[in-house]
Amino acid sequence: MDVKDETRGVRVRPKEEFNFFQDKRVRSGFYQILTAGIVGWLAWYLVSNTAHNLEVRGMATGFGFISSSAGFDTDFKLIDHQPGVGTYGRIFLIGLLNTLLVSFFAIVLSTVLGFFVGVMRLSSNWLVAKVALAYVEIFRNIPLLIQIVFWYIGVFSLLPVVKKSLDLSFGTGNLILNNRGFYFSSPVPGDLFWMTSAAVVISIIGAVVFVGRAKKLQDTTGKQTKVLLPTLAAVIGLPLIVYYLTGQPLEWDVPMLKGFNYVGGISVPPSFLALLVSLSIYHAAHIAESVRAGILSVNRGQHDAGMGIGLKPGKVMRLVIIPQAMPAIVPPLISNWMNTVKNSSLAIAIGYSDVVSLFMQTTLNQVGHAVEIVGMTMAFYMAVSLIISFCLNIYNKRVQLVER
Amino acid sequence: MAIVNTNKTPDRAAPISETSMLGWLRRNMFSSVFNTLLTLSMAYIIYLSVKGILVWGLFDATFVADNRRECYDNSLTGACWAGVIDWLDNIFYGRYPRDEIWRINAGGLLLVLWMLPMWLPRVRGKVLIGATVVVFYPFLAGYMFSGGEMGLFIQIMASGAIASFVIIVANALVGLTKDVGLDTFVLEALGKTKAPDKTQRNLLIVLAVALFVVANLWVSTWALEGVSWTKWGGLFLTLVISGIGIASSLPGGILLALGRRSELPVVRVLSTGFIEVFRSVPLITVLFMATTMFPLFMPEGFVLNKLTQVIIAVILFNACYMAEIVRAGLQAIPKGQFEGAHTIGLGYWGTMGLIVMPQALKHMIPNIVGNLIGLLKDTTLVSIIGLFDLLGMLRSISKDVPWLGLHKEPLIFGAFLFFIICFSMSKYSRHLEVKLSAGEKH
Repeated sequence: MDVKDETRGVRVRPKEEFNFFQDKRVRSGFYQILTAGIVGWLAWYLVSNTAHNLEVRGMATGFGFISSSAGFDTDFKLIDHQPGVGTYGRIFLIGLLNTLLVSFFAIVLSTVLGFFVGVMRLSSNWLVAKVALAYVEIFRNIPLLIQIVFWYIGVFSLLPVVKKSLDLSFGTGNLILNNRGFYFSSPVPGDLFWMTSAAVVISIIGAVVFVGRAKKLQDTTGKQTKVLLPTLAAVIGLPLIVYYLTGQPLEWDVPMLKGFNYVGGISVPPSFLALLVSLSIYHAAHIAESVRAGILSVNRGQHDAGMGIGLKPGKVMRLVIIPQAMPAIVPPLISNWMNTVKNSSLAIAIGYSDVVSLFMQTTLNQVGHAVEIVGMTMAFYMAVSLIISFCLNIYNKRVQLVER
Repeated sequence: MAIVNTNKTPDRAAPISETSMLGWLRRNMFSSVFNTLLTLSMAYIIYLSVKGILVWGLFDATFVADNRRECYDNSLTGACWAGVIDWLDNIFYGRYPRDEIWRINAGGLLLVLWMLPMWLPRVRGKVLIGATVVVFYPFLAGYMFSGGEMGLFIQIMASGAIASFVIIVANALVGLTKDVGLDTFVLEALGKTKAPDKTQRNLLIVLAVALFVVANLWVSTWALEGVSWTKWGGLFLTLVISGIGIASSLPGGILLALGRRSELPVVRVLSTGFIEVFRSVPLITVLFMATTMFPLFMPEGFVLNKLTQVIIAVILFNACYMAEIVRAGLQAIPKGQFEGAHTIGLGYWGTMGLIVMPQALKHMIPNIVGNLIGLLKDTTLVSIIGLFDLLGMLRSISKDVPWLGLHKEPLIFGAFLFFIICFSMSKYSRHLEVKLSAGEKH
């Protein structure tokens, strides 16, 4: 030991004794190698077993089956498919689109209904609040699968037969409901319809610019401009004028009773309706709870202050409470959307042709290839949830920037 | 000179609009024209639906009939509960042999008695109760439910279960009557309070071992008829799957959560990947994976039965959700706790096991109950891959010849059953949350 060092007041760092078994890096390295080893061994064990089993049973592997033709048809599809011509890849695509279709509409409906019920739960009217509470508790505590099966068997399969179809459009035949599904007229655009579409785009762009100017004006000078009526008039009025000037170039393909079934228009099967209704109701109950929690998380003083500066209750809600509640509402809301997509896989119980029932069940039963098919289906759901959580992250970043 | 009234003005009664029923009604239901309209229309809707439900489900319903035709003869507009009543045994126990149903009931009763002391305020050693339930009960119950040949391992575990059950009941009784722990009570009864601690502990261990030996002798005489898992079903199967699911996914979830928060990159990446994969896919795909891919994973000639496949899938799936609950609980623990534990020289497992986990678990209890509710509801999915759980049984009523086409009533009965179970559990978890957070505020 240097005496000089001590006199100069320089502290000497005590030399750490290197102990192989106590060294942090050695230990962490050891545990990581151990974990990797165990997991690696397990993976190798499973893979080698699988390879051996596939060989013994003479089962083919690889993704070749995707381009071979599928011999079965589905009752509901968004893209064309001919049995015997279309491939299994096409079947995967059909199922995937069907899943996304029903999830999309269920998400829209459940979000609207959920906000409505969530606000109802906070109503000052005792009866309204209790009805909303009963709704939430009943539909949250009954398994979704039971609800789906009930809507399918107990409601949509018991609708009148084709000959006695219900007409929901007061006799015009535009909306037909029976036990084969829901039929509605589809628009068939004529030659000049592009002009109407162009008018819609132009008026929307105009409205956005107008609203942006009005907001800027308010931010800089505090002057408020009436926005709602002019924009609505422009967005609806301009396309309408163009539509009538070009001679109403839009025909409706109305569903017609031909033989034993309705032909024409667009139709969705009862299984779609059952799934849509039950998913919307079930998830609306969950969304209502997060909306309520979000609104309650806003300080009571904000409400009082809003009332204090003379805003009406509706405006207090819209301008003061909701904007502050949104950061608390959105994350659970989006996780609910994710759950809606995942829960749409219960379609298999009622035969709606979603990705699980078409691909993971029917295709798997026909061609085998369990590993590939399960992998593809799971990859699809993972991709959806990755995209949704990516959007959530973007939103969270934006919200954080707005805050101080 | 001022005139001051020194007498206290008598209190006036609160205005009638504040105290009476009418005042309450006016404030909460008829405060404005709009609210009045809203109240009246809501009341009308409630009246219509309640009336409809009561007429269909109660007044016009048929409770006694031999088949669906008789139901229709009795009333066309009412529910046919006779079918559900006829199938009640199946709904609860599946196709379990009718003479052996007592085994399920006994198993359930045992669990209730075992767990009951946890809710009694004067009983001591509650951690012990929880630990023994998790370690021993599944093996005893497993043997009671499936019967057949008893291996040495099962025999030992079942004896352990009986011994610990006796100890726990005795402990609860002593706690309730004398307000002391069983150990103190036994030592006092033997008059050895002056002996050193070590002797006392040895004495207790000797007693426990003696009890275990007696239990083992008794268990070895058991010969229960074997009941194949294919006969299990109904609510019983639902509870078995979700019970095993929740009990096994808790330790799994704790390990995964620790892995995800670990400082070791390899462990963290592996756990995070595992958790995220299973959380982003629907349970039904995991169940399909289990039934189609597990047979390929196993070495040749080794066959897992479907129930085991399903249970493994449920555990894998639920452990990932549990891991996120545990992670949230761990995040609620302040950093000072970790640092304090390090300061007194605890290593990683000491810190986690003795300091962090006990505090975090307390925070997690409401969420764990919530997870249990979710799992119970999700268990209905096993009916899709062909197990006859509660929903599977309910749906097979409509395929039974006398009750052909009876769909609605069984489903409504099942919904009602689930509602009762899940609603009471969620109320309980809410109550726990309030109780536990009340303890936090000093």
